[in-house]
Amino acid sequence: MTDKDLSRQTPFRLSRRQLVSGMATLGVLAGIPVRPASAQKRIIVPEGEFVPLPIAIPNFVGGSPADGDVGVGVTQVITNNLKRSGLFVPIDQAAYIDKVVNIDAVPQFNNWKSINAQALVTGRMTRQGDGRLKAEFRLWDVATGQPLAGQQYFTQPENWRRIAHIISDQIYERLTGEKGYFDSRVVFVDETGSKERRVKRLALMDQDGFNVRYLTRGTDLVITPRFSPSTQEITYMEFGQGEPRVYLLNVETGQREIVGNFPGMTFSPRFSPDGQRVIMSLQQGGNSNLFAMDLRSKSTTRLTDTPAIDTSPSYSPDGSHITFESDRGGKPQIYVMAATGGQAQRISFGDGTYSTPVWSPRGDYIAFTKQGGGQFSIGIIKPDGSGERILTSGFHNEGPTFAPNGRVVMFFRDLGPGPNLFTVDISGRFEQRQPTPGFASDPAWSPLLS
Amino acid sequence: MKVKVDKTVVASIVLHLLVLGWGLFTFSTKAFVMPDEDVVAVDVISADQLSHVTAGMKSGKKENPKPLVEKVAEAKPIDDATGKVTEKAPVVTDTAPPPQPKPVEKPVEKKPDPPKPVAKTEPKPEPKQVEKKPDMTDPIAEALKKDEKKHPPKPQASTPPPQPQKPKDRTFDSTKIAALLDKRDPSHLAATGDTLNSNAALGTTKGKAADNSATWGAMFQQQVERCWKKPYGGLDNQNPEAAFSIRLKRDGTLESSPAPEGTPATPYLRVYQESALRAIIECQPYRLPAAYFEEWKFFAPVFTERKS
Repeated sequence: MTDKDLSRQTPFRLSRRQLVSGMATLGVLAGIPVRPASAQKRIIVPEGEFVPLPIAIPNFVGGSPADGDVGVGVTQVITNNLKRSGLFVPIDQAAYIDKVVNIDAVPQFNNWKSINAQALVTGRMTRQGDGRLKAEFRLWDVATGQPLAGQQYFTQPENWRRIAHIISDQIYERLTGEKGYFDSRVVFVDETGSKERRVKRLALMDQDGFNVRYLTRGTDLVITPRFSPSTQEITYMEFGQGEPRVYLLNVETGQREIVGNFPGMTFSPRFSPDGQRVIMSLQQGGNSNLFAMDLRSKSTTRLTDTPAIDTSPSYSPDGSHITFESDRGGKPQIYVMAATGGQAQRISFGDGTYSTPVWSPRGDYIAFTKQGGGQFSIGIIKPDGSGERILTSGFHNEGPTFAPNGRVVMFFRDLGPGPNLFTVDISGRFEQRQPTPGFASDPAWSPLLS
Repeated sequence: MKVKVDKTVVASIVLHLLVLGWGLFTFSTKAFVMPDEDVVAVDVISADQLSHVTAGMKSGKKENPKPLVEKVAEAKPIDDATGKVTEKAPVVTDTAPPPQPKPVEKPVEKKPDPPKPVAKTEPKPEPKQVEKKPDMTDPIAEALKKDEKKHPPKPQASTPPPQPQKPKDRTFDSTKIAALLDKRDPSHLAATGDTLNSNAALGTTKGKAADNSATWGAMFQQQVERCWKKPYGGLDNQNPEAAFSIRLKRDGTLESSPAPEGTPATPYLRVYQESALRAIIECQPYRLPAAYFEEWKFFAPVFTERKS
């Protein structure tokens, strides 16, 4: 059978030329921009100022009269979380026209419009027959009357705060387009006693300052605690009887172990994003270099080999790079290099010295402490060295750590009597003090718990 | 060495280039975007600019079939108001030039205007109408007439078609300011009809009279911005943009829910679009000039942080 016969039998078969021209035409047609009818005038409403969103959060109703208190508690936690983020303005409950809102009914939106609420949260807490607590919530867009989110959770009654944080994250994410950070913890060094006889203990708390737990007894000095990505383990440095060592502590069981067995001091430990390795500094004579240790095989890899002090390493979220502080250029500056070692790229070039770099979980920025002009500043810089931005300055700020969503930085500030924890948004807005039981330093933010 | 070239490949490349090149030039369009804030705020523009903005095209095709109506009442169309008060006697001062044989406005009266629905009914030469009214006698005009009789116009040596003469310098006499005033009663009467329509004729689509979006657009922008709670986008410039099609009623309220253009690609863009939607809904009713209702009853607000 010849080609001609074939083409006669299959009338839709295209020749090569037809195919080529057809594809080209399709390509051109696909490139034509789709535009609305030209008769419609387009009125540009240009860049406006950011304004915190007014949100109404009436008390969650109780499924039974006994559940009313927990409903009020959950509402307060959510209100506090959203307010502290700086992105929301919870409306005072005294202004509400509807004091009690039934979660099963569509709200009377006019009553919420009249108090200028743009979003409305309704919810209910109900104790179940099996003793568990059922939490339900709905998020409404007041202007359009549309439901934006809604979930229900079951938990043990003692976890009601955790549920409130999870609901806060849902609301935050739906209204900002960013992941939340409220269901997370902070490990820090709790400081008590006089300056001369300061007792330093490792402590753990929820990100809003509640549920504080002490992890060490305070007999030995502890510094630089860091969370594992699994959130069950913490690595830190302790000055014991011998040389300072890096330890690994299981938060749930209280078990602890020394990381590696090196001759000499180890410090500045930090987990890799997969939790499989710990990277740290090892002092050798007057110098210190970076090493990574595999937690399973206990094998170590040397990452730097310089006659300088390389310290404070931190992994990028994808684990492919590390940032660290080094004085190889004369004074401490921030460097970035591949996680396997090799050529390091200096990224900080401003006046003064740069230290304690920490990579954001989003990967877009590296936070640092900058010292210069008699001030300690907390700042951020992009991994390529551009976009340096100082978030706060004064005496004495240090030790930044990112919230799980990379939007907020926590650090400690010591104005004389003792250090306290503060948070600031990465734009430099919404700086506020973090509640702690006493003086506190060296914070490290955990990943999201859920 | 001879290189073998596949003819089909060459043909394909040439065809691609031709088609793409043709497409580039044929389909390149520039979106009509309002310029940022070189908006003419209505209350500050000069009379010159106003007349320029509202100028139509005399020779343009009429696109607005509705008659001019400024007052709701029993329909009573009136003459085309334009040009009615154009005839004004020149001011006579000591050093004023001798009056010209012909008033310059001559063609205005006889030349029929382009067909306008309202003006069609009773076309009248305007000077006559003025002269009819006894109370409109202008002392200056009277003086002029007398003067004209004294000095009959001299035909010029070479009499080609009349050319506009160059105005000579005139001195200003502050004692005769009163003579500058036009003492006639205003001849304008409101056009009446069923529905208000302030545009007698919009001219062609290319005429400028129909485009008042700079004015009402700025007013809309000012009002909607007050309700816009822009979400916080952090440091990253995501260049968000949210466009809607909206239909407004005469009272400035929304006729239907704004229709968003396109689907947002990221959660932040979705939030950005929702915030803009909330602002449009919350800020209604919009106070926009009723005169331009035909323009703002259907338009597309674009909320953006893109620098054009």
